[in-house]
Amino acid sequence: MFGFVVRRLLSSLLVILLASFAVFALFYLGPNNPAQPVCDSAGGSRCTPERLEAIEKSMGLDKPVVVAYGTFMKGIVAGREVTIGAATYDCDAPCLGIAYGSRGEVTEELKGRIVPTILIAVGGSIVYLVIGVTVGIMAAARRGSLGDRLLVSGSLIVSSIPYYLICLLAWLYLTLKTDIFPETGYFPITEDPLKTFSGLLLPCLVLGIASSPVYARYTRGQMVETLGDDYIRTARAKGLGGRTVLLKHGLRAAMVPIVTIFGLDFGILLAGTVFTEKIFGIDGIGRWGLDAISAPQDLPVLTATVLVGAIFIVISNLIVDLVYGALDPRVRLG
Amino acid sequence: MALSTGTDEIVSGAEGPDEKSEEAPSSKNLAGRSPTQIALERLRKDKVALVCSAILLVLVLLAVFAPLICDWLNIYVDYSNPDAPRPSEVLGPDNYPIIGPPDHGFIWSHPLGIEPRTGYDNLAYILYGLRTSLMVAVLATAFSTVVGVTLGLIAGYARGWVDSALSFFIDFFLSFPFILGALALAPIITQRFGGSSDSLARAQLLSIVGVLVFFGWMGLARLIRGQVLSLREREFVQAAQVIGVPTRQVLFKELLPNLVAPIVVAVSLSLPGYVAAEAGLSYLGIGLTESPSLGRMVNNATNYFENYPLYLWSPVIVIMIMVIALNLVGDSIRDAFDPKTRR
Repeated sequence: MFGFVVRRLLSSLLVILLASFAVFALFYLGPNNPAQPVCDSAGGSRCTPERLEAIEKSMGLDKPVVVAYGTFMKGIVAGREVTIGAATYDCDAPCLGIAYGSRGEVTEELKGRIVPTILIAVGGSIVYLVIGVTVGIMAAARRGSLGDRLLVSGSLIVSSIPYYLICLLAWLYLTLKTDIFPETGYFPITEDPLKTFSGLLLPCLVLGIASSPVYARYTRGQMVETLGDDYIRTARAKGLGGRTVLLKHGLRAAMVPIVTIFGLDFGILLAGTVFTEKIFGIDGIGRWGLDAISAPQDLPVLTATVLVGAIFIVISNLIVDLVYGALDPRVRLG
Repeated sequence: MALSTGTDEIVSGAEGPDEKSEEAPSSKNLAGRSPTQIALERLRKDKVALVCSAILLVLVLLAVFAPLICDWLNIYVDYSNPDAPRPSEVLGPDNYPIIGPPDHGFIWSHPLGIEPRTGYDNLAYILYGLRTSLMVAVLATAFSTVVGVTLGLIAGYARGWVDSALSFFIDFFLSFPFILGALALAPIITQRFGGSSDSLARAQLLSIVGVLVFFGWMGLARLIRGQVLSLREREFVQAAQVIGVPTRQVLFKELLPNLVAPIVVAVSLSLPGYVAAEAGLSYLGIGLTESPSLGRMVNNATNYFENYPLYLWSPVIVIMIMVIALNLVGDSIRDAFDPKTRR
């Protein structure tokens, strides 16, 4: 068990490092010169080639990409000083750099923006797990009935519709046109938790409901398969109640693949939060990344968003592997 | 991408005919049917698949003949044609069209109305958007299939470090946040290849196809690898190895024909994914800005949803119909090729 966790942690770390290096190198070698906007905006006087070169030098852009990445990694561990143009910024220990646009510490801004993203992701996944699994169990228990057939064909159609269309229409017609959800958006949780909840309710519901048909179908399929097993018949034969058989015997076994899919779909969930944040105007990681690519591109911000995204996905996969062992006694980690 | 959930269930139809061996002696005129023929016959009987295929055929024809249709209807997607109306001729001072919907009722010359602010015809824009959308999806599917199948074959057939390295790369790309990666990648490819504004449109097309392929090949590669892992232990592969068939021939002449079913299914299920992804990226503004795109139209129309719902709803409905039809056909194809479903 311990060896397994260590091995998985190491390979996860490798994935995260590679992902961050890939984005870093991409921008570093990309055609956009980050020094150009700094040079253009500084001081009002014209941007001469000499000044551009000086600014490039001060930002460390003249060094090879591996050295620059080394500096970046050192900043995460120990902090560093970042120079952009004439100004020098002191960037503390988990330093992801200084945002070119706002000139604030990326780490500090990240702290503020990660909360709404996590709230949407967690809220959305709770909604779709609860709805999806419940509907799936109910359909499997009434297999072949009208409701079951409606669910199977209906969920295929609903899950085909791209998420951003559902999200956009929900925002336009439920928030702007009618007053069903009058105030959506993110309000800091420290100020008014109730308002935070009501503001994120619609985004979470939309994200959850749009993703739930996939889980309903999947749960139904797994449950139908499990309920056909011999041990279910045994449980019924010895006189256990229908609900006990369904939930304790059936769901327990069907849960393992559902958890796996949940972990694998985490990337899709993150994509969902990007659209949700853009449409509902919530200042989370996704919207931050979107803003950072519009010119002038903000390399430190983009590196940070991809890094955070990769960490999310890797951790979710790690948790799935661990939960797997707890749910399925046949799986021995080691 | 959403591929991974669906394709895991596919089992290769390689040795499909054994399910027919029981009924064979009873029938008099024996006709050997390959698994593909069986699948096609199942598809022909599937009403949903037929209806959706017909819808798709219409959409494809509309897209292919978009320039001809626009000529014939006398509608224009931009000002490159001197006959196209200037914005001042069709738009009022408030930027809303002075003829046709939303304020002046339906007119035949502009069935879906005129775009506010630019004065383009909405139907022409949608037809060209359909064209872009299908082209991007087909190209992305083709390239990602080639990449996925090739890497999957190699990873599954090779043992040792090649397999480990390729598997690591598959896992690495799977844990890369797709949309954030696309955010980072798309502008870079565009800038690299789009020097002048003329080549910008082509560079954007290239970049969006590139991004979709970059993050879309892993599902198929993993699926193919798994299939090859079991196929390579079969007698026909071992026989080929023993008589000295070169590795490349074993891969593409012995193994590949046995993987047709999962590949066909994966392709049919990935097309709608790419259509949706292209529109989504364009909606976010990181896809196509120079060529007509349904996603961009949705984004532009958002501000007008209250006074001009037709402008918003027409691209939304077209995207929905296209994606739903593609998905339903893909689902039917999966059922048809799955040796476990019997009818």
